[in-house]
Amino acid sequence: MTMPTAFRRNCYLLLILGALLGAVSSCNKENKEKPGDAAADKSAKSIVIWWFQWAPADGLAELGKEFQAETGIAVNVEQIPLSSYQDKVFLEFGGARTRFDIVVGDSQWIGRGATKGLFVDLTDWFKSVVDLNTIHPRAAKYLCEYPEGSGRWFAAPCETDAVGVAYRKDWFDDAAERVQFKKKYGRELAVPATWDEFKQTAEFFHRPDQKRYGCAMPSDREYDGLTMGVQNLLWAFGGRWHSEENNNVKGFLDTPASAAAVDFFRDLTKLGPKGAERLNYGQVLESFTNGSTAMILNYFAFFPGIYKQFGERVGFAVVPGKDGKRVASLGGQGMSISTKIPPEQQELAKKFIAWFSQRKIQEKWITKPAGFTANTEVLKSTAFRAQTPYNGPFADSVETMRDFWNVPVYNELLAATQRYVGMAVDGEMPTAQALAKLAEEKERILTEAGLLK
Amino acid sequence: MKYLRFLIIIGYGAVATLPLLWVVLSSMKHRADTISLHAKVVPAPTAPADPASITFEATAEAWRDLAAVHAGAQASFWHYLANSIIIGVLSTIASLALGTACAYGFSRFRIPGSGDWLFFILSTRFLPPLAVVVPVLMMYRELDLQGTHAGLILLYTIFNLSLSVWLMKGFLDEIPRAFEEAALVDGYTRWQAFLRVVLPEARTGMAVTAVFCIISAWNEYGFAMTLNSSGAITVPAYFAGLQGNIDGMPWPQIAAGALVFVAPIIIFTICTRKNLLRGMTFGTIKQ
Amino acid sequence: MAKTDGGMKWALVAPVLLLLITFNVFPLLYNIVLSFTNAELVGSGSRTVGGANYGRVFADPQFAGALRRTALFVTCAVGAELLLGFSVALALQRAFRGKQAVVTALLVPMMLSPAVIGLFWNLILNGNYGIVNQTLGWLGLPQPQWTTDRDLKFWSILAIDIWMWTPFMMLISLAGLGAIPPSIYEAAEIDRAGRLRVFFKITLPMAAPVLALAVLFRATDALKQFDLVMAVTGPNDSSTQTVSTLIYQIVFRDGKVGLGAAFACVVLVVVVALATVFTRQLDRLRSSEGAP
Repeated sequence: MTMPTAFRRNCYLLLILGALLGAVSSCNKENKEKPGDAAADKSAKSIVIWWFQWAPADGLAELGKEFQAETGIAVNVEQIPLSSYQDKVFLEFGGARTRFDIVVGDSQWIGRGATKGLFVDLTDWFKSVVDLNTIHPRAAKYLCEYPEGSGRWFAAPCETDAVGVAYRKDWFDDAAERVQFKKKYGRELAVPATWDEFKQTAEFFHRPDQKRYGCAMPSDREYDGLTMGVQNLLWAFGGRWHSEENNNVKGFLDTPASAAAVDFFRDLTKLGPKGAERLNYGQVLESFTNGSTAMILNYFAFFPGIYKQFGERVGFAVVPGKDGKRVASLGGQGMSISTKIPPEQQELAKKFIAWFSQRKIQEKWITKPAGFTANTEVLKSTAFRAQTPYNGPFADSVETMRDFWNVPVYNELLAATQRYVGMAVDGEMPTAQALAKLAEEKERILTEAGLLK
Repeated sequence: MKYLRFLIIIGYGAVATLPLLWVVLSSMKHRADTISLHAKVVPAPTAPADPASITFEATAEAWRDLAAVHAGAQASFWHYLANSIIIGVLSTIASLALGTACAYGFSRFRIPGSGDWLFFILSTRFLPPLAVVVPVLMMYRELDLQGTHAGLILLYTIFNLSLSVWLMKGFLDEIPRAFEEAALVDGYTRWQAFLRVVLPEARTGMAVTAVFCIISAWNEYGFAMTLNSSGAITVPAYFAGLQGNIDGMPWPQIAAGALVFVAPIIIFTICTRKNLLRGMTFGTIKQ
Repeated sequence: MAKTDGGMKWALVAPVLLLLITFNVFPLLYNIVLSFTNAELVGSGSRTVGGANYGRVFADPQFAGALRRTALFVTCAVGAELLLGFSVALALQRAFRGKQAVVTALLVPMMLSPAVIGLFWNLILNGNYGIVNQTLGWLGLPQPQWTTDRDLKFWSILAIDIWMWTPFMMLISLAGLGAIPPSIYEAAEIDRAGRLRVFFKITLPMAAPVLALAVLFRATDALKQFDLVMAVTGPNDSSTQTVSTLIYQIVFRDGKVGLGAAFACVVLVVVVALATVFTRQLDRLRSSEGAP
């Protein structure tokens, strides 16, 4: 070691340290300046919308550009990774000011947003800009109002979604298959209208040795997959999550009808690809797009992508029913305005929502990838139904859609549901016992939150 | 004995590298081939006629798509990679500098309660970071550090401090004090002796420490996800966020991205490889 | 010489100590305060609820389950990684052509990002189209549901962790073995000591301190297991929930900051107790091992 080289090396080290300190402080400044710049430049008005990462958010951003062209107000749609979207939105609400002006929030969030004073109450304003009769009552009830059906609006419909069925039309139309099916079951092979037919059809197509499977449904134990899958059956079978009048769970959830629905769901998972008792939305989609599965249950928002890939080889339908009763699990999100932004920003946000809710914009919205509307006039129009093969079933599904809880403690209720129904589906616990325990757990959560009347 | 050795090496090597091979192969596939029910193992220049064939058409699609802005995301993979580089490199330099200085202090000076301090430093490593996430969040909100590069740099620097102090102390303890004493006799100040004499001697240790710091900062996920909404999203948070994508998981891009993402670490490790093996004993074995 | 440099020594150590206190001690104290309230992630106006949160933590089997599962995870992961890593290091001890390249290649798994590669393992282990099950099917063997079977998914995550971190143990073992002076082996050869005897009397005791430190670092990391669980099953899976993912579920999903803080405090007490015992042991090991 000679001193000069060591000295030089130390000079480098000091330089690096200096650069580091400089970089850290400049990073900090740079980031701090960004919002400041926007605020300083008062002439350039803009709003920020948060949604999670997926194609409809791109469509919203495209519409935002049109809005900017018309009004001069820029719209920035920021897309947050789905797996942490909920967490981040509520983290923002914990601060003094949210970075978004409008949040496109999941239907279940509305209770939390309304009761904790996070979402601006839109009741009086919204009816002054939109004819509320043009908004489908079920979308209004589950996506916009809190408490359900109270007429107090905390969101405007953005993406309305429901669970539907996608099936392999080419398999259903295959002459040989049709003959076979008729021989076996004594009826024509057709898109199933009841859950029993669904099971029969799934059974018929389930040929694991040929790597062909009957059906796949959302059943993931993460956020809400399993619950959203099971409840299509639960309601059709006459089961309930709870009483809508007084929130009571016992006597409504722990019934033979609910248990029959869960058991039926479990039987259906046996007619799916391996691992069908735990598929998230993406995996349900993948089991269809890899050409192995005859029928899937999934949100309509996924269907445009499928149609693009399969073209005429795929068909779409509403979820099956039982004894004339058919209920589709609701999906989708409404637009809410944050209370934690200045009044002038709230005004800009209202301007955008009013613009977006117009019929002519809704008609553009449905042409965007996976954009679905709650506008009854659009839903009723034949033009909408004729546009794509999935629009018709979607419009029909809206008539029967229903949602899980949207009380402020929905997430604990959801987590408990996922856990106990999961145990029943996995056979870890007898179904009746699991539902009884779930009912008990839910009543505990509701009592703690003061929601049990 | 000799055969047993090679059996172990080959057996373990297969288990360790086959998943990596699968990542490489997947990065060359079309998406449909990654989820095909007929395993696609052999790359070929053209698509096979038989759908059940084990060959697949090799494509650079996924690699090109890294530059594309993926359905939903705000920027391409490269943007998030840049975030990861800024945060990973700066936090590594910072924790290395601070840790080395601190280790030197404990190694050469009599510090009251040094044993307890050192235990305290080590104990911070036991703490599951999520246990302190809420207070840290509130602090960051106050300081306006949420979603900034600086915020994550600071945090990762702190996570790695215990490691860098403990590793560096081991290395510095082994450098004979005679070196500095000679320098002091030559008219160096203590600071000069530290910077010009001790540090160059400790570079082996610093290289090793840097490797570990950068691996953990580079790959950190929990805080990258919870502290950031859209400001300084790193690659792990970006990929994890693709789950639930409307088009299904973009497996080839994930494979290609994982490979690009690990490449700098591999290169860095190869550069420091000699030091790595020499320096990995944490000073526990005295020669 | 220390006396005259009081300013310098504090300038050297103070930044680290201050940073660690600000970002570890202060949050911990604040956590304790939070644990006695019903604070939520959003909305203001929390109030003190006494020990209610702690009551819940001790009563709800979910919490004990997460702790037990984490302990099992740490024990199995570190044990298997040590055993495997050390064996491979022994096999690699002698020089051969291309050894450097082999070692480097074997190190790659530990450099990968667990969040990214965990995601990818979902594809590899997929029960339907995953390559593992396709291979098993081709061989005519049963095809377990690696990531969905409730009895299996925990072990699958463990296996991924072992795959990722065995290289770390191997690397440290190699370094430890390489640092044993050849003169000792030569002396043993003169004594005509048997192979096993050499291993148990020389190799193992000489490598022990470095292995203990490696175990310590691995154990602390395994204790925090979060990324892989998040990538493979998510935080709300009762059969894979670890301490970190349960805290995440409670704090970020349910918004129950107070409850999460109470659980974090309980975890902390357990961890600090274990850490104290372990570091004492380590100290003993390090001081008893004199220079050869």
